[in-house]
Amino acid sequence: MPRTPRIRKAPTARTARAVRTVAVAAAAALVARRALRHRIKASPLWPMPALETPVSGKGRDAQVTTTSRQLTVAERTEEAAGVVRLRLAGDGLPDWEPGAHIDLVLPSGAIRQYSLCGDPATPGSYTIATRLIEDGRGGSREVHERLHEGTAVEVRGPRNRFRLDECHAYVFLAGGIGITPILPMVRRAEREGVPWRLLYAGRSRASMPFLEEIEKLAAPGADRVTVVAEDEDGRPDLAALLAGAPPYAAVYCCGPEPLMDAVAALLPDAPEGLTLHTERFAPAAAPSPAPAADNVPFEVELHRTGRTVTVPAGTSILRAIRDQALPDLPYSCEQGFCGTCQQRVLAGEVAHRDELLTDAERDDSLLICVSRARDGGRLVLDL
Amino acid sequence: MSNTASLRPEPVASEHIPLKARNVAFDWADTPLHWIPGDPATTHTINVLHLLLPAGERWFVHVYKQVLPYVRDARLREDVIGFIGQEAMHSQAHDGVLPHLRAQGLDPTPYTAQVDWFFEKLLGDRTLPPGRARKWWLLERVALIAAIEHYTAFLGDWVLNAGALDARGADPTMLDLLRWHGAEEVEHRSVAFDLFVHLDGGYRRRVRTWATAFTALVFLWQRGIRFFMENDPTLIDGKASFREFLRAGRQGVLPTAGAMTRSIPQYLSRTYHPSRYGSTAQAAAYLAGSPAATAAESRTPGGA
Repeated sequence: MPRTPRIRKAPTARTARAVRTVAVAAAAALVARRALRHRIKASPLWPMPALETPVSGKGRDAQVTTTSRQLTVAERTEEAAGVVRLRLAGDGLPDWEPGAHIDLVLPSGAIRQYSLCGDPATPGSYTIATRLIEDGRGGSREVHERLHEGTAVEVRGPRNRFRLDECHAYVFLAGGIGITPILPMVRRAEREGVPWRLLYAGRSRASMPFLEEIEKLAAPGADRVTVVAEDEDGRPDLAALLAGAPPYAAVYCCGPEPLMDAVAALLPDAPEGLTLHTERFAPAAAPSPAPAADNVPFEVELHRTGRTVTVPAGTSILRAIRDQALPDLPYSCEQGFCGTCQQRVLAGEVAHRDELLTDAERDDSLLICVSRARDGGRLVLDL
Repeated sequence: MSNTASLRPEPVASEHIPLKARNVAFDWADTPLHWIPGDPATTHTINVLHLLLPAGERWFVHVYKQVLPYVRDARLREDVIGFIGQEAMHSQAHDGVLPHLRAQGLDPTPYTAQVDWFFEKLLGDRTLPPGRARKWWLLERVALIAAIEHYTAFLGDWVLNAGALDARGADPTMLDLLRWHGAEEVEHRSVAFDLFVHLDGGYRRRVRTWATAFTALVFLWQRGIRFFMENDPTLIDGKASFREFLRAGRQGVLPTAGAMTRSIPQYLSRTYHPSRYGSTAQAAAYLAGSPAATAAESRTPGGA
C-alpha cells in the first residue's frame, strides 16, 4: 500500500516539474527575445564595442593628389598690379571647400601649390591667383610668363589643410596674396549668416587683389572689413582687431611669415578661447619625381637588429636590407603605393618618393621600397 | 596509396598566375548613393563590402606579414607577397568609398569603428607567450583567412559573371571597383588555402575556422545591411529583409541562396582546392580591359 501512492505520485510530480521548467524557460526566452529586439531596435549596432580611434573611412588624401587632371586656362585676368587670376576649366572636377589648394604642375615640371579663390558652387573650373615674386623660386614667373588662355596644365588635388571649421564667429586676417584662401571663407560665412570680420593688409591698394569684391561684401556693416594699405595707412593694428574679437571665435590667418608670427604673439592677450588657424604661403615643397642627383649611396642603421646596411646607388633600402640583414622583411608592390613595407624612422632626413603616406605619417615613417635618405645622409630605422 | 592520394586537395596547375598589385584609383564624384538604380536594398547589401573590407583586408596583410618567415616554398612565398600587395590595394580602394558615402549623408563610421575593433582587437595580436600559444593563434588566423578567401573568390567569380548588374544600369565606376577586386580575388584564390595547407592543413582546424568565419560573416553582413537601410537619408522607413535578399538572388543582382548553400560542402570537402572553381583566364581578361586596372598600368613606371 505505501508503494502505490509513491509510484503514482512520482511521475505526476516529475511531469509537473518538467512542465513548469519548460514554461519558465519559454517565458524567459520570450522575455529575452523581446528585450533583445527592443535593445537592437533602439541601437542597431548593439552589442559590439568600437575601436576608440577608428582607422577605416578616412580615405587617403595622398591618393586624391595622385589623380591628376589636364585642365585648360580658360580665362586670364590682371587682378591687381603684379597679380594674375587664372580660371582653369575641365570636366568632372571634384568639389572643394574653402581653404583648399591644388598642386599645379608647371610646364617645366615644377609643382606649386595655389589656394582656390573662386566659388565652390561653380562647377567645371578652379580659380587661382598668383603674385609675381621677382626673387622667388621661379614658379610664379612661370605662371605669369607661360600660362596663357588656352594653355593646357596638369592639376592634382584639390587638398585641404586649412579647413574652415564651424564656429559662431570668425576673424579673418589676410596679408597680400594671402587673401586667396580667405576669400571663399568670407563668402561662406556671409552666405551662412555667421558674424565675421576681416583685416586685409597689403603694400598699396593697387597691389591688393579682390579689393572691389571685398568692399562690396562689407557694405551692409561697414566696420566688418578693415583694409590697410601700408603706403597710405601704415601698419595694421592687429592688437585692436584681436581685442575686438568675440570670445571663442575662430581666427583664420594667411599671409607673410611676420604677420602670422605677430598674430600668434598677440593671441595670449586676446579675448578668451580664440583658436588660431594659419596657412603659410610656401608649404614644404611637394615630392618631385626622383632627381637623379638624389640617387647616391647612404647608410641605414637597423636599431633593434643592431646592424648597419649600406644602400648602394640605384638599389632600394628594401633590397639592401633584405640582401644584407633581414631576408623576411615584408613588402609587395616595390613601387611605393601598397604600403606593406612601411617602417618607422627614428632619426635622419627622408626623401619621400611614395604616393601613399599622409604628411603626418611621413613625419615618422617611410616606405623603404622607394624612399631614400636625403642628400646621402644616414637613417636609423626601428627594425 | 592511390586511395589516400585521391583524398588530398589537387590543384589545377594551369590556373596559377603570377600576382602583382595594381595601383588603382577611383573617382566617386559621379556615383549616386543608390548605384543600382531603384534598388537600395541590393545596393546596400553590396555596400557592406565597403564596411568590412578596409579593416578586414588590412588584417589579412597584418597576419601575412607575420607568417612570411615561416614560408619555406619559394613559389608560395612569391604568391604570398603578391597577395599582400593586392589585398592592401583592395583595402585602400574600398576605404576610398566611405568618405563618398559620408558626403551623401550616410556616415559609416559607427559601423566601421566596430569592424575596426573586431579585426584590430578581437582578431589582433593577443598578448601570448612566445612559442606554442602564439604560433597556434597565428595558424588559427591563417586558417580563418583561407575560409574567408573561399567566400571572396566565390563573390569575385559571381560578380565577374553578374550580367544582371549591367542590365540594371549599375554605376560603371562601382562595377569596375567590384570587378577589378573580384578578378584579383579569382587570380589569387588559391594562395590563402595553399598557405594554410603548407603551414598546417589540419581538417579539424579547417572545419572549425570555416564555422567561425561563416558565422561571423553572416552576423556582420546582416548588421551592415540593417545599419545602411536604417540610416539611409533617402529612405523613410528603410528595413532590411530576407525576402529582398531572395528576390535579388532571383533577379541575378545578388548571388542566389542556392549557390551560397552549395559553396559550403565545396569548402568542407576533403579534396577541395580553390583552383577547381572559377576561371583565371576570365579574371585576366577582365583586368586587361578594366578602366581602373589599365589606368594603373599606365601610371606604373615600366609596368609589365
